[in-house]
Amino acid sequence: MSLTAPWVLLALTALPLLWWLLRVTPPAPRRESFPAIRLLVGLKAKEETPARTPPWLLALRILAAALVILGLSGPVRDTGSVLPGQGPVLLVIDNGWAAAPDWPGRMRAAGATLDRAARAGRPAALLATAEDGSGTAPAVTPVMAGADLHARLASLRPEPWPVDRAGAAAALRRADIHDAAIVYLPDGLTDGAGFPDFATAMHDAGAVTELCCGLPARLMLTPVSEPDRLMARLAQTPQADATKAVVLAQTGDGRTLARTEIDLAAGAATGEAPIVGPPELRNRLTRLVLEGAPSAGSVALLDEGLRRHPVGLVLSGDQAQAEAPFLGSLYYVRRALAPYAELRLADLPTLLAGDVSMLVLPDAASADESARAALTRWVEAGGLLVRFAGPRTAEATAPDADPLLPVRLIAGNRDLDGAMSWGKPAGLAPFPADSPFAGLAVPADVTVNRQVLAEPSASLAAHTWARLADGTPLVTEAARGRGKVVLFHVTADADWSNLPLSGLFVDMLRRLVTLSAGVAAPPAGNTALAPMQALDGYGLLGQPPLAATALAADAFATTAVSPRHPPGLYGPESSRRALNLATALPAPEAAPMIEGARVESLGGDAPAHAFGPWLMAAAIALLGIDMLLALLLRGLLRLPGRRIAAAVLIASLLAGGTIARADDLDTVANPALATRLGYVVTGDPQVDAISREGLVGLSMFVNQRTAATLVEPDAVEPGRTDLSFYPLLYWPITADAPALTAAQAQALNDFMTRGGILVIDTRGAGSGEGFAPGADVALRRVAGGLTIPPLAPLTVDHVLARAFYLLRDYPGRYENSTVWVQRDEDRANDGVSQVVIGGNDWAAAWAVDTDGHNPYATIPGGAQQRLLAYRFGVNLVMYALTGNYKGDQVHVPAILQRLGQ
Amino acid sequence: MADLTRQRPDPTRRAEALAARLPALLVAAERVAATVAQGVHGRRRSGRGDSFWQFRHFASGDAPTRIDWRRSARSGRPGSAGWFVRETEWEAAQTVCLWRDGSASMDWRSAGAPVTKRDRAELLLLALGVLLLRGGERAALIAEPFRPVAGRAGLNAIAAALSTGPATEEGLPPSVALPRNAKIVLISDFLTDIADVQALISRLAGLPATGYLLQVLDPAETLLPYEGRVRFTGLEHEPATLVPRVEGVRDAYAARLAAVQGSLLALCRAAGFGFGVHRTDHPPEATLLGLYTAMSTR
Repeated sequence: MSLTAPWVLLALTALPLLWWLLRVTPPAPRRESFPAIRLLVGLKAKEETPARTPPWLLALRILAAALVILGLSGPVRDTGSVLPGQGPVLLVIDNGWAAAPDWPGRMRAAGATLDRAARAGRPAALLATAEDGSGTAPAVTPVMAGADLHARLASLRPEPWPVDRAGAAAALRRADIHDAAIVYLPDGLTDGAGFPDFATAMHDAGAVTELCCGLPARLMLTPVSEPDRLMARLAQTPQADATKAVVLAQTGDGRTLARTEIDLAAGAATGEAPIVGPPELRNRLTRLVLEGAPSAGSVALLDEGLRRHPVGLVLSGDQAQAEAPFLGSLYYVRRALAPYAELRLADLPTLLAGDVSMLVLPDAASADESARAALTRWVEAGGLLVRFAGPRTAEATAPDADPLLPVRLIAGNRDLDGAMSWGKPAGLAPFPADSPFAGLAVPADVTVNRQVLAEPSASLAAHTWARLADGTPLVTEAARGRGKVVLFHVTADADWSNLPLSGLFVDMLRRLVTLSAGVAAPPAGNTALAPMQALDGYGLLGQPPLAATALAADAFATTAVSPRHPPGLYGPESSRRALNLATALPAPEAAPMIEGARVESLGGDAPAHAFGPWLMAAAIALLGIDMLLALLLRGLLRLPGRRIAAAVLIASLLAGGTIARADDLDTVANPALATRLGYVVTGDPQVDAISREGLVGLSMFVNQRTAATLVEPDAVEPGRTDLSFYPLLYWPITADAPALTAAQAQALNDFMTRGGILVIDTRGAGSGEGFAPGADVALRRVAGGLTIPPLAPLTVDHVLARAFYLLRDYPGRYENSTVWVQRDEDRANDGVSQVVIGGNDWAAAWAVDTDGHNPYATIPGGAQQRLLAYRFGVNLVMYALTGNYKGDQVHVPAILQRLGQ
Repeated sequence: MADLTRQRPDPTRRAEALAARLPALLVAAERVAATVAQGVHGRRRSGRGDSFWQFRHFASGDAPTRIDWRRSARSGRPGSAGWFVRETEWEAAQTVCLWRDGSASMDWRSAGAPVTKRDRAELLLLALGVLLLRGGERAALIAEPFRPVAGRAGLNAIAAALSTGPATEEGLPPSVALPRNAKIVLISDFLTDIADVQALISRLAGLPATGYLLQVLDPAETLLPYEGRVRFTGLEHEPATLVPRVEGVRDAYAARLAAVQGSLLALCRAAGFGFGVHRTDHPPEATLLGLYTAMSTR
């Protein structure tokens, strides 16, 4: 316990004087008017007790005065240790990348040290050992009062590069400080060879206290791309216990598409784990992030180098012939892929010598044995070979004639439209669900005249990606090693079918390209790439620091990050390169303790506790009580007022300043007395919490913006809760939702037929299966018992899109999911849709937590999206409350026109 | 603005405001009077008047002119035994002069009292007026101009005079020419100087006139229920007085009040006046009965 202003205690000696003054001063008399005053004049009381301040009131006032004096003297309880030495206090802070995870704790410890220095009356100085964003070498600040150093301390940030030990050592020697109390906050790493020198420099300057040991430093290494997976790698300072690290694979807009755990054995310095996923998913990844406290070291940026898909078109003869407009075998393939992929047109050996991720081979069963062997090796190493049939393929039907065909073919080809056939050109069947082409629309005018036929086998169906309307395979595939072979059973030109003429052909080829594994970056030249975005110390992309300069393309693998070359993204968007912290950084090495240093725990130091404000608050409270009592004694506070004052006093003491939000929703227990929304309980506590918060947020928004007054939403269980009170039910579908029981389905059907609106949300079906996989399937299962009317997509002409706001999009947390409503022609229920189905996860966008914040980010994001989500919610509520009232708006133009005439 | 609002409203406005509560006051007075009237009988005795009361036998000393010869002839008895004297009912209407103190000290009530002293005084005055006028007496308010009234309509005049009359500063009735042998009822708190009251009573007794003094007091004035250190301020520009401990002077105050009331009683007795005390937290009927009885018997 120490005092910041001990001389104030002298005022305590004045307390007896105050006691005497208060004692002799009687309380102020009450005032009363009295007609019989004539009788009172000159009356003397029989016993003359002096009217003095009551002793308890006197004690109260003396206590209040004593508290004020004690509070002003600034008592501080500090359990921390004493600062050694006589000179200034030097605070040395490692603010490299490894310090970021527990940066707030470091700042608290540093702030406490400065306070302690100020209390001890010792000046202080600060040394941050990493270079700052402008590339300035570390330097010791001038020695100044500890209180003045707080601003400097607050402006410190962890930097995304390692600390500069040599520079820090030089700065220490330059500062020429002796007999200082050095408080050192290390990041736990040596950060290069200069650590012993740095330790010596500190040791020379004074007694070192090391506030030690935050979190272990972990560093995401640049991942290795393999054909079917991405290898996430991690380096760390070896730990005594086996631990796990969780790596999230994220896209550019922040969605997490995959998650993997890296097991780190005891004492292991590195670990790795694969991120498995289809290539088209992997191609959308932009970075790997280590779950946990953020730092520049926990982020590995992925660049275009891991995502390139050069496509090789194999020339089997004359280039001019192959590229002849409308006739050449590669003409259509080239036209289809040129806008989307990097194309190379060459013969097979040339292509295989370079980097290609996909090869297109038009009807070429190469006779060259060596070339075929090379091609086989390439495929088995992970290449994607796309072949087209042709007259020559049709001949190669011997069992081992061509191992690079996915299926065995029947000799000859099938002529559907020849002079000798009775068949008609066949159209395409819809693509199977497990095919990469699934979801592509099949135009009716695509027909096939001739094709090669696969030999029927039990496994043929499993290898078929597309088939004709009569069931014969059109595209087949087979795995070869780590690669794949894909065969189109028609030619690549328009001879056998008009498929190459259609837009479908382009889409199919593009899907195939995304299937192929990416290849590493090409050997680049020394083009200088300018920094575009840089990571800050917490691993967030932002503006590059001042000192950042361009980096030659061929220097990326060898450049260590520094203020000149911060980790981040460089170069134009099409060929963006990533410079990662780990690229040229040596493996993290735990720093030894500084010789002779006292070691204290970083978080164990209890913060200094100042009592002054509390004492002052108590004194003010006592004086407030004293004032109330004085008013009571003088009769100025009447009895009811006394009660109110007591109530106010007690309330203010008990409540402790909890302030209710002004826009809180009312709670009315009886559902018949107030309008409210409801949500169907799913059983998943998190989903139910989101639904509840979402409807609370929506209700508040509706109350603010419209004349409708909604109270707290209710959780309802169909079949158990009486649904007749709710105009609108929100029903999130979880993947594991059980099918409805007969009673539940009956309750919901009754709800809908009696005018209620059921909003079914598959929660992120629009996010590419990333967040709520299986919700669509679950919806089919769950809604089986419901009588859902015929549905149509929600258009801008629908009443729901104009019930309150005029809306074109209906986003929730996600956007672009189609919203389905009852088809307009059905006039049942007065044309009001009984059900609204969508997958934009509206409740998450509406959600408001108890602090009034929106806890769930919108994707792709922005305040506008959330506002639109709220507006759609208002429209839903208005639609539920007013039905097709706004349907008359379609007549507004006609009415206006008539009025005008 | 503040000055304007602090001014006293002009008399017309005040009269209107007071007149608004007049019917209520009259109704209350009628109600109180009705309770009392049922317990008192009229003055059924002979006296001067026009209406026939009774015949009685001639007694020696009766004036011969009062013998009703027609009734005596019908009796058929000879001599004075058959003479009958005709008596008329006593109908001598008397003027009762009423006054209530309208000073500021009357316009006050303590926290425990239901009404102000002035309200209670006016209620008693009007109720007495109701009873008197109903009994055929003439009543008048001691005020300028002095205008005795009779009959039911007279009550309204008294009430109007009460409400429109100028507020007096001094706590004693104005000196107007009162009829001889009038009955005088003075209702006040009589907290003025006792010498003034003495002068007043001796002046009235010299008219000659008799009457009744009713002292109306607030319960707080009787009991002095305050505690602690209190600064008392008067209502009629008396200097304020500070009492350090009110509970300490309570007995002395009661003694002083009793002394005042005793000297008032002695004054009244000497002049043939009645004296009574009424507390505003007591019901007015009992006091009114006493007042009315005093009016009837004397």
